[in-house]
Amino acid sequence: MREIELKVNGLRRKLGVADDELLLDVLRREFGTTSVREGCGVGACGACTALVSGKSVSTCLSRAARFDGAEITTADGLPADDEVVDEFVANRAMQCGYCIPGFVMMAHELLGENPQPTDEEVVEHLEGNICRCGTYSEIHAAIKAAATRRAAKNERATA
Amino acid sequence: MTTVESRSSVAAVGERWARVDGRAKVRGELQYAADQPVRPCLDVAVHRSTRPHAKITAIDTSRALAAEGVVAVVTGADLYAEFGDRLMTGPAFSDQPCLAYGKVRYVGEPIAAVIAHGAKQAREAAELIEVSYDELEPVHDVDKAVLGAPFVHDELRPSIVFGDLKHLRGKRDTNVNYEYNLRKGDPSSVSGTTVSYDFWCPPTHHVPIELPFAAAWCEGERLELLATTQTPSYVRQSLADLLDLPLNRVRVRTAPLGGSFGAKMYDRLEPLVAALAWTQKMAVKITATREEAFLLTTRHGCAVAGSMTADENGMIVASTSDVRYDTGAYADVGPRITAKSGLVAPGPYKVDNVHVRSRCVYTNKPSAGPFRGFGVPQVTWAHESLADELARQLGEDPVEFRRRNMLREGDIAPVGTPMHSADFLGSLDAVTEAIEWGTPFVKQEGTLVRGRGVAVGMKAVLTPTISNAVVQLNQDGSASLLISTIDMGQGSDTIMAQIAAEVLCLGEGDVRVVQADTDVTPYDTITAGSRSTYHTGNAVRLAAENMRDKLVELAAERFGVVATDIKLTSDGLVSAQTQENVSVSELLHGHFGARGTTLTAEANFSTSWQPYDHENGLSPQVTEHWFAGAAAVQLTVDTATGRVHIEHLAVAGDVGRAINPAMVEQQLSGAAIMGIGHALFDQMVFDEGQIVNGTLLDYQLPSIKDMPDKLTPIIIESPHRTGPFGAKGVGETTIIPLAPAIANAVRDATGVRITQLPLTPERILTALEEQS
Repeated sequence: MREIELKVNGLRRKLGVADDELLLDVLRREFGTTSVREGCGVGACGACTALVSGKSVSTCLSRAARFDGAEITTADGLPADDEVVDEFVANRAMQCGYCIPGFVMMAHELLGENPQPTDEEVVEHLEGNICRCGTYSEIHAAIKAAATRRAAKNERATA
Repeated sequence: MTTVESRSSVAAVGERWARVDGRAKVRGELQYAADQPVRPCLDVAVHRSTRPHAKITAIDTSRALAAEGVVAVVTGADLYAEFGDRLMTGPAFSDQPCLAYGKVRYVGEPIAAVIAHGAKQAREAAELIEVSYDELEPVHDVDKAVLGAPFVHDELRPSIVFGDLKHLRGKRDTNVNYEYNLRKGDPSSVSGTTVSYDFWCPPTHHVPIELPFAAAWCEGERLELLATTQTPSYVRQSLADLLDLPLNRVRVRTAPLGGSFGAKMYDRLEPLVAALAWTQKMAVKITATREEAFLLTTRHGCAVAGSMTADENGMIVASTSDVRYDTGAYADVGPRITAKSGLVAPGPYKVDNVHVRSRCVYTNKPSAGPFRGFGVPQVTWAHESLADELARQLGEDPVEFRRRNMLREGDIAPVGTPMHSADFLGSLDAVTEAIEWGTPFVKQEGTLVRGRGVAVGMKAVLTPTISNAVVQLNQDGSASLLISTIDMGQGSDTIMAQIAAEVLCLGEGDVRVVQADTDVTPYDTITAGSRSTYHTGNAVRLAAENMRDKLVELAAERFGVVATDIKLTSDGLVSAQTQENVSVSELLHGHFGARGTTLTAEANFSTSWQPYDHENGLSPQVTEHWFAGAAAVQLTVDTATGRVHIEHLAVAGDVGRAINPAMVEQQLSGAAIMGIGHALFDQMVFDEGQIVNGTLLDYQLPSIKDMPDKLTPIIIESPHRTGPFGAKGVGETTIIPLAPAIANAVRDATGVRITQLPLTPERILTALEEQS
């Protein structure tokens, strides 16, 4: 066991974790984040994706102890007016919905790095996430729409 | 009682209402089964067989029992001592124990369960169990299994669920647990141009991203269970049989499912947690790992030896199919798949001389069960490859050949049942038009060769089945709908609300669907086989109509007019004679004299069939309705690498009437994308009975990178005379013709007919080499 500090969706907490405990399990148990989910256990499906300082992490592969001091964002902690969430909803980018929060976090990472991704860049970025319902077209459209909306907002902010 | 023609300014059916809980799904706040708050549960892990076929001679659980955190270790023999033959469950045959006793029949079969404080402790302790085996000869493939010994089971044990299988009880010395034969005319009596091939589809897995989960505990003298299941009504009966309890002492709760596609139905984890909770009087839960999920159920591997013959006029005159479904160690619903898919093995064509022999075969592999398409994609792979090849050998356009031979409204299908609301022609025309079939295209660019292919799919809906619905209209005018259909992503909660809203003139968001819970929601056979829109949808429509009749009667009383004078609109109830009107809210308040009251109406909808003749397999009504769909594709094959790239995929399905067109399009697209995986790369690989690619690192699934450059879903509406507002289901329709459409395009591009799935680069390169 060791004591670490995590800041999850703005909430800072000290907690004890076992050396081999996964970040996925700690986020679910200690912070009640329902949006990170095990799908494969080997980092191959993306259902457990969270952002650590803006970078996507497969929490099913990550030992929590290594994230002492980290700032972590999960889909259920996004602000109410998050434009990525809004565009996923507007574009019907969900069916069973189980994998979708992982896609939302990947979209956040992508748009953080590359505010106007091309179609190819969107595809490249999402390649590691699996949606078994096959909602890929809607997810793709949602990300493009979020990029457009974010650009318009930034333009207004700088005008 | 009168029925009043109502229509208001708001419409529900046919509208693109947003999916219920869409925002909660996107944010990850929706609670799936494993997220639901339940009482603290001990964790269960199982020890699994390392042998494909063996007698269990001894089990040493002492080291596991002594391990840290372990509360109990239970073996199959322990449960058999408690339950006897009741331990054997299964929808068609009572052949599967939740923990093996006496004998194991596949690598990975659970033998003993560890109950511990924490999943990690349980899993570690399960590794400490030692099992001694006396090995038996295994049988790994269907063609060997149909010939005779070794036998996976000593004798057949039909369940009491499907009464038509009871004549098989006690049958010995066979691996064939069911055989369906369709005989019409005499295929050997006709001559013409014949094509024949041996086809193979490997076993595949559903891989819903949500992992299977089940928790169970005793509540006094009752058993309660929360599980990832799409068959709560079935599970309640199955557990009541297992535990020998009346139905009212078993409660099965469900949660929204994170996908299923057939993986989470019938007996999966539920008998195990129920048996453990009941015998140990403990609250227990089990979450399958992805590796374990691969062992719970699969799609049937399937061999088809098929032929098709056309006369000099290009009419199909004969069709034969020898179909062998590999059901693995346990039959699950394989016998139903064998018959219900066997009956469409000739395809959607008018053929006078037909012989189908369809067999369900035990082997020493994980059990195969229902998977989107219910075995029909496997036989469609054969008949649509044959039809395509036959057209090509006749020098004819594959689309024109199909159009000429296709079943049309009123025609009698080879199985003997008339066709209604099965628009093969409309589906075929729509997809071929979408990809511009018939217009020239560049055939070759460097190493890339380009081709187009088409295929049509035909399936019968599960019949007979039973659905019930209860509508509670709240005093404020909102409604609650009680049904046991499970929303696993197909959107049933949304469209059932739309059906109720249409009848009751309610708006978007006014109808809430209550989560299936057998203590609360009424019986529904299953959520499977694309049956819910038609069956449960009809029950919902009827219940809502009963509710409308009740409201009309209350209003007639209130206004002192006859009921035929009353009309329900979105503004409430109005009398045509007096122009008096009253809102639903006021009407119910007036009737009950209180706020927050509820008015309840219910309905049942059951379908019937005429069982097929055991000799010739024919039935004048084998199904309540048909699904019709088609796929057309333009693709390139890289002759240097063997890679297929899909440029345009168009899919169409006849849904009768689209209750929610947006969701229909998602189902059409989603099934097509799953079908791309089956066509190009998706397969379970076994080595001597051991699955070798049972992780998501090794098992390939379609990603966003496998999307066609263009994917066009097309809704065809040929209303069904008894569907709710003409509607039928759709979830499986476009997976059915997908693989043959792609293979036919590969044939068009390369000249090579490949008869084994998936069409991997290696397989394509090998075929190209053999051709040259």
